[in-house]
Amino acid sequence: MRRILIIAIPVITLVLFVLIMHSGNFLKRPMGKDDDIPGTIDGIIEAVRNDSWDEADSRLQGLESAWKKVLFRVQFGSERDEINQLTKNIARLKGAVTAKDKSGALMELNEAYMHWDELGN
Amino acid sequence: MNEGLVVVVRAIISFFTLLIFAKILGKEQISQLTFFDYILGITIGSIASEATVDLSSRAWPHFVGLLSWAVLAYLMQYISLKWRYAAKIIEGEPVIVIMNGKIMDNILRQMKFRASDILELLRNQGIFDMNEVDYAILEPNGSLSVLKKPEYLPLTRKDMNIKAKPTGISTELVYDGKLIEQNLQQMNKDKRWLMNQLKKYGIRDVSEAFLVTLNDAGSLYVDKYNDEIKKVKDIGDYKGPY
Repeated sequence: MRRILIIAIPVITLVLFVLIMHSGNFLKRPMGKDDDIPGTIDGIIEAVRNDSWDEADSRLQGLESAWKKVLFRVQFGSERDEINQLTKNIARLKGAVTAKDKSGALMELNEAYMHWDELGN
Repeated sequence: MNEGLVVVVRAIISFFTLLIFAKILGKEQISQLTFFDYILGITIGSIASEATVDLSSRAWPHFVGLLSWAVLAYLMQYISLKWRYAAKIIEGEPVIVIMNGKIMDNILRQMKFRASDILELLRNQGIFDMNEVDYAILEPNGSLSVLKKPEYLPLTRKDMNIKAKPTGISTELVYDGKLIEQNLQQMNKDKRWLMNQLKKYGIRDVSEAFLVTLNDAGSLYVDKYNDEIKKVKDIGDYKGPY
């Protein structure tokens, strides 16, 4: 029994570590109604394309709160640079939406999408 | 991103990964390390430290690096264990640097050793006169093994035909005030015997003893918590630090 434990404990520990290191990829998936980042980005893209700036602004607030939630979960298995870039995209997007800058907003949204895909990979 | 928290989690991962890999890689002591083992240790340690604090990349690539180095090191160990010839190339082999009292200067040059290095290693072994040395072998870990000339070897009981009783190794019977019954049974003694012995040292309860050992020859060593030493000798050459 002791022999099994001596082998099992390190193996389980290493497997757990690998899972934590890969956690970013599966923990970024939505777990509730208000943490669907790609869905929210899609919604903002749609609103910006239709020049519905009020809707884009309200969805952007949803994106900010969703990102705060997801960030805590993905931080252990993701690169700091990807996280920071996505945070910057959201900040710049806020400015573009306020200025009703369609091209700027779409650029930020598409870049945010790219960083989202890279997160945890 | 809470960088402090991420670093703590990564430190835990690196620490225990390193501990597990080090245990798998073996029990070599620092003094037995070859030059390559030494570099290997530094590299693996450096990867682990990067995995902890380098947040610009994920922990996973660092972990893979750590694993790769550990697997390669294990592979090298396995190859050198199974294949003597490979071991000679990978780990090096002992080289005779002094033979019949004569320094092998060509070999020294090949090994990039100076005569002064050999003299230093000899001094470390308490040999200050080259005339005492018959053979000296430079081991792969850089240490020097010395065989003195017969006239300089110490006199032994065997030379004098004196019979000596084997003393065996000491077994701990009491450690930190706690009786180790398993060792007591192993030495074919019981608690009553031990207490009778301890009474001679003024000990009434096992908890008063810090360490009690017994060797195969029956010699008992007893150390009490109360050492009854009024003033501990200070061997420092200046006052302080308190």
